[in-house]
Amino acid sequence: MTNRQIESIDVIVFIVAGILVILLMFGFILYFLISYKSKKRDYNLLEIQKKELDDQKKLLENTLSELRATQSQLIHSEKMASLGQLTAGIAHEIQNPLNFVNNFSDVSKELLTEMREDIKKNNIEDALELASDVVNNLDKIYFHGKKAESIVKGMLQHSRAAKGLLEKADINLLCDESIRLAYHGMKSKFMDFNVEITTIFAQNIPKIYIIPQDIGRVILNILSNAFYATIQKSKKISSDYKPNVTIKTLYDSSGVNVYIRDNGCGIPQEIKDKIFQPFFTTKISGQGTGLGLSICYDIINSHGGRISFESKEREFTEFNIFLPNKSNLVVKIPNNVV
Amino acid sequence: MLSDIAFLFYFFSLFISFIGSCIMFSKIEIAFKWIGILLIVTFLNELNTRFLVKSLSIQSNGVYHFFVPIEFSIYTIIFATFINLKRWNKILILLVFLLVIIEILNTLFLQPIYVTNTNTMIIESVFLVLLSLILYIRIKESTYYKNLLLEGVFWFNSSILFYYAFNILVWGFHNWDFINPPLIMYDINAFLCGLMYLTFLFSIYLNFIQVRKLKN
Repeated sequence: MTNRQIESIDVIVFIVAGILVILLMFGFILYFLISYKSKKRDYNLLEIQKKELDDQKKLLENTLSELRATQSQLIHSEKMASLGQLTAGIAHEIQNPLNFVNNFSDVSKELLTEMREDIKKNNIEDALELASDVVNNLDKIYFHGKKAESIVKGMLQHSRAAKGLLEKADINLLCDESIRLAYHGMKSKFMDFNVEITTIFAQNIPKIYIIPQDIGRVILNILSNAFYATIQKSKKISSDYKPNVTIKTLYDSSGVNVYIRDNGCGIPQEIKDKIFQPFFTTKISGQGTGLGLSICYDIINSHGGRISFESKEREFTEFNIFLPNKSNLVVKIPNNVV
Repeated sequence: MLSDIAFLFYFFSLFISFIGSCIMFSKIEIAFKWIGILLIVTFLNELNTRFLVKSLSIQSNGVYHFFVPIEFSIYTIIFATFINLKRWNKILILLVFLLVIIEILNTLFLQPIYVTNTNTMIIESVFLVLLSLILYIRIKESTYYKNLLLEGVFWFNSSILFYYAFNILVWGFHNWDFINPPLIMYDINAFLCGLMYLTFLFSIYLNFIQVRKLKN
């Protein structure tokens, strides 16, 4: 081969190699551009999805906060409603001491008139006797006035938010007060309401540390439900049904048990696991918020206790509240107990 | 004739790029400032070379023994700025040292000062092609760029890959077919080099526009 031929072959080889390199580089850059575009597209899609998710999250957060606000409003309404139910019971409770105050005032007035006559006649001994009667009457007026005051205080406590202060309280006394309030409350609503109330209070129960107004609310709520169950049953069956609600307290070293049993309509099997859920109610719309038992559950839990029940449909329901006897108990007030 | 056109195009491109860089220098980002510096240094080097050849009739080969390491150092700074990873800074410094050592050894034992240092040029090209591929990976990792075709870094990197891959071929052929290499390859090389400088200028211009938009 001549030098010229070799030179031409070199040129051809170089040009072919050069074209190959150029094509290779072009191909690479093109491939890079396409793959970057595709990645960017995926990324943009992800960004859009992320934005949508963020928007939905914000929407859900707003809805949640609105729901919370509504829930707290409902809880407040529930509390006010229960206070309304108690009004009749409270009025009845206040009426008794007021009657005493009125009667003793009248008697004292008459005694003072007689005393004035005796003083005019210079009958000092009789006057002194009458004066001591008046003093006795005034003591009684003072006693019943204080009783009415304590009832009003209790009502105010019920409407106020629990401060979470533990106090030593007598469970039997709390049950007794709650029975009377719940009974009169129910009586004012249902005129023909009648129930036999049996109380079996253990006498060895010491005062235990609780938040009295909270535990009072729990007992009152369960009692109201018990009364309501007997009313429902009496509407359904014949007249030989005798409504009965039994309240029993028991004490052992671990704490106090309160049993509230009614022979009402019972709880159907299919709703047994729902009754402590918030907003669950079997009452017709407008009669109950469905928060009563849910709040009871939270209150008892916050006291470190337990609430449970047994029921047989159309026969009975028995609630058991257990409250531990702990002096060092720290009560965490649940959010929904306003 | 072809040689004259190719080299004329090369010088013209370099001159335009030099002027453009000087005009936009103050209003571009740091990485592009370094590209501008590279263009300025290259232009001054070419002026110096022409001066040595034309006025003093000295061979220009020796100049490249000094210019290639300087050029590579500037390239590594540009890549370091674009790659922007601390661990890569060390590797890039190591590469510069390596190239300087290769250049010294090459000058001492293989290609003396009066011969063109094609061995170093090939190694520099290999390094730059590798760095360019790494920068592509970094670009792909980030999803920062909206449209790559409007990004100076993409045009800069593509021109590096394109030109220096071809450069390996040219200087490889030069070494292989040393006695009678085909002259056309130097013409194509000069033409592609001119194109690369124009692309550098284009990437600087794109950055200049971006910076101006951001300021507005």
